[in-house]
Amino acid sequence: MINLLFFGRLGDLAKDAPTCIASLEPDTTPLGIRQMMKADHPELSKALSEPQVLVSVNKMIVKWDEPLFEGDELAFLPPVTGG
Amino acid sequence: MPLNDDDFMRYSRHLLMDDIGEVGQQRLSDARVLIVGLGGLGCPVALYLAAAGVGQIGLCDPDHVDITNLQRQVLYRTDDCGRLKVDCAKQALEALNPGIVVSVFPREIGSEILADRYDLVVDCTDNLEARQIMNRACYSQEIPFVSAAAVVWEGQLVAFDFGHFRSLCFDCIIDHNSAEPMMNCANSGVVGPVLGIMGSMQATTVIRLLLGYFEQHGEMTRYDGKRGQWLSIHCNRNLDCPTCGSASD
Repeated sequence: MINLLFFGRLGDLAKDAPTCIASLEPDTTPLGIRQMMKADHPELSKALSEPQVLVSVNKMIVKWDEPLFEGDELAFLPPVTGG
Repeated sequence: MPLNDDDFMRYSRHLLMDDIGEVGQQRLSDARVLIVGLGGLGCPVALYLAAAGVGQIGLCDPDHVDITNLQRQVLYRTDDCGRLKVDCAKQALEALNPGIVVSVFPREIGSEILADRYDLVVDCTDNLEARQIMNRACYSQEIPFVSAAAVVWEGQLVAFDFGHFRSLCFDCIIDHNSAEPMMNCANSGVVGPVLGIMGSMQATTVIRLLLGYFEQHGEMTRYDGKRGQWLSIHCNRNLDCPTCGSASD
């Protein structure tokens, strides 16, 4: 199982989205999780596809093609650029 | 310039602290800090650094005060509308602390401003291009870079101590070819105190760096004001980074 965290305003779009993935397929990546959201959570999927969305695994920023493993915590962080 | 009798009164609450004291206050007084962007982040950063006695402060922003700024940009007053932000800020900061020197640059950030031997640069801007220019200049000059951003209820802070760490920089985290996100303060809004929180954290980080108490090179802090949540995450160096990818450490 991996836990999912949709930080900040992504949380508003993820109210009905899963908070964990119980059964992890081999070679699953954050990009794969994003694609999984496309059918049932199109608005969330669109927000995750914006420029400068960051993804972290176990509180470490990773690339979208980082392999995920059992027990990981995957967090999606929306872009923040204003000042 | 050595501390004088007035300084001992003004900064007494720093001087009482063992880990600041006279030596630390003198370091702040000797420091030259450039603040780029005088919006919602730059206002609290400038106020706190001026009050703390950072001796020389550069202010860079081409914009004029607009009434829509006043909901969050706490340096300005209604009568300031139409004036250059850097002029209003200089006047306010010098009234707060006449013992500091404030220089103004009413234009976009560029390499000629960054080349002026600052000890540290604070990014309070709202766009990626400016952040990339500052990141690369700070990296090449081996000086710290403190960057923050905010939109709606959310804030982000990340700082780099390039004098001590030569790998991992802003370009490692945000791809240098990235497009700007769709949401910004002008089209989506922002909660004023969120900027105050992030700007205060920037100012605290600046003081930590100037005093030698900073050990979180490249660590990112995120704040969600709507839910009252904080998140600290580590960033990885990118070996393909155009700025620091070839660094050996």
